[in-house]
Amino acid sequence: MAKVVLEVNELTTRYITRFRESIYAVDHVSLKVESGKSLGIAGESGCGKSTLALSLMGYYFAPLHYTSGEIIVDERNITGLDPDEVRKTILGTEISYIPQAAMNALNPTRRVINFIEDVIQAHRPGITRTEVYAMAKERFELLGLPAEVLHKYPVELSGGMKQRTVIATSVILSPKVLIADEPSSALDVTSQKMVIKMVMDLMDKGIIKSLVFITHELPLLYNVTDDIMVMYAGQVIEKGSAQEMVFDPIHPYTKALMGSIIVPEAGLRNVKLAAIPGTPPNLKNPPSGCRFAERCKYVMPECRVASVELQKASEGRAYRCLIPEEDLRKAYKHEK
Amino acid sequence: MKGYRDYFLRKFAWFIVTVVVAFTLNFILPRLMPGDPVAAIAARMAQGMSNATGVQAVYEQYTRLFAIDKPILEQYVVYIGNVFRGDFGYSISQYPRTVADVISASVWWTIALQFPAIIVGWIIGNTLGALAAYVRKGFDKVLLPLSIFLSNMPAFGMAIVLLVIFSVDLKWFPTSGGYDYAMIPNMSWDFVWSVIVHYQLPFWSIVLITIGGQAIGMRSMAIYELNADYVKYARFLGIKDFKIIQYVFRNAMLPQITGLALSIGTMVGGALVAEIIFNYPGLGSTILTAVLGGDYPLISATTLIITLMALVAFFALEIVYGLIDPRIKAAQSD
Repeated sequence: MAKVVLEVNELTTRYITRFRESIYAVDHVSLKVESGKSLGIAGESGCGKSTLALSLMGYYFAPLHYTSGEIIVDERNITGLDPDEVRKTILGTEISYIPQAAMNALNPTRRVINFIEDVIQAHRPGITRTEVYAMAKERFELLGLPAEVLHKYPVELSGGMKQRTVIATSVILSPKVLIADEPSSALDVTSQKMVIKMVMDLMDKGIIKSLVFITHELPLLYNVTDDIMVMYAGQVIEKGSAQEMVFDPIHPYTKALMGSIIVPEAGLRNVKLAAIPGTPPNLKNPPSGCRFAERCKYVMPECRVASVELQKASEGRAYRCLIPEEDLRKAYKHEK
Repeated sequence: MKGYRDYFLRKFAWFIVTVVVAFTLNFILPRLMPGDPVAAIAARMAQGMSNATGVQAVYEQYTRLFAIDKPILEQYVVYIGNVFRGDFGYSISQYPRTVADVISASVWWTIALQFPAIIVGWIIGNTLGALAAYVRKGFDKVLLPLSIFLSNMPAFGMAIVLLVIFSVDLKWFPTSGGYDYAMIPNMSWDFVWSVIVHYQLPFWSIVLITIGGQAIGMRSMAIYELNADYVKYARFLGIKDFKIIQYVFRNAMLPQITGLALSIGTMVGGALVAEIIFNYPGLGSTILTAVLGGDYPLISATTLIITLMALVAFFALEIVYGLIDPRIKAAQSD
């Protein structure tokens, strides 16, 4: 078995609102990413996937707070480390991040190269400008970005170029794990392809060892990542290999998520789009039973009684449902 | 750089057009005021004369001196020529002093009062606003309402409050004037001390109002910037908080520079009320006497100074912005 680069055990983080209410946006989440592997995280808006991305870095600031669980990066447990220590030795070098809103991720009044200089300086104080430039140029060119971009201000770059600049900046120090939070969702299809290809290149070219890719588009994950984890209301609802998750979903939510994808093909107008009825529960007071119960087709009275634990299905496969997997599969077959 | 040159030239062309329009309005508007100021000096000069022809002659002499018997267009042409030679003519209300003499005696008082007050108020206001945005909590809860109160206080209100507290009740500072009336301006220590003492109340009344407005502006800009996506991203790449704060305050400061240029550009006009209340010998008091006396040449010259200062400040602002803010720099090429 390959070396585990990122391991998260029962991580719980919460937002504390200005009215001192706690919102557990990441609720006992565990995951493991091996070297050379990638993990996709999918779910609807508000399911906690972006919060999970932020929580994975072990660096919290208000309103997000660490509650419990542990994060192990390359055999080093980073939970409970001093925030300044995390900043210096983890962020950017061990774990790096591509934000959702790359359009505004760069300081508008700083040239790309100066920003990169600040990033490198934060981890390697005393590095010279020439060295920074050489590093940046080498990395940008390796990723197919022209070196002129370095001398530009963010406003002078197009949306796609900005996103690619952000990606190249995030991996300037060759982090072991890269967390990409919907890096392509705000772009047009061509730019989207370029960005996805670039993220995959990072793995192929050995710049990063592991990737965590977050998106609301499940089929995109099938093309990009090895494993997929589906989140619902702050919890992991199902996980498994990309192949299994897409072609053989167990949990009714995963199944529904697959059904709600628009496939652009002839006669689309006649196909009834299977949207999932209802909305996710309010995380201020999550329901006591299964969190998906309200929207589930197969709901039983027991579902609403006690919280449902993750059930192990096969190696690396788990789902959070009271109904046994065979029965769920039978039900799906019957529907067809 | 070609884009920048075009930007500069375009801005400069607009600047010239605005100056010409403003110059014309400055000339015409005072002359549309009702009343005959020449009659007032003529009456003053002809005091004691009983001969009606003599009075008439005096009146006509002053009419010719101020050329108000000529058509307004001709007056305008002559005026332009004179202004270009630096000659603003005689003041009507303070005849026989020239306009240039009256202005040069008062303008430095105004600049010495306003310029430092605006700079001090701007620096203190921005620092407090930035701190409030960064620290939040109790500091912000006290500063924000206080700033709103200060900035909404009219200039004369602030001046009167300070006047009542510090000079009428506490008697720490004199109530009016730029220096002790019993003194003749000279370079002695007594005189300088007198100027400093008289300086305090008008100075702080302007500083306090400036602080209020600037602190509110800086606070909201800094809070906005602190929550910007680039701050979050920079944090997650491990950049030090100190560096990020530098980003934030530089970006929040940019709109505040507009506020500074605006205050400096309009400082002469803005000082009017404070100067009048403290009877300060600056341009504000001069304008008041000029308007009351229907003194066309003096009004035109003082308003011309105000207009030019405002226009130069805005022009300089646009030029500087083009250099320091890449977002505006990028927009220039459009």
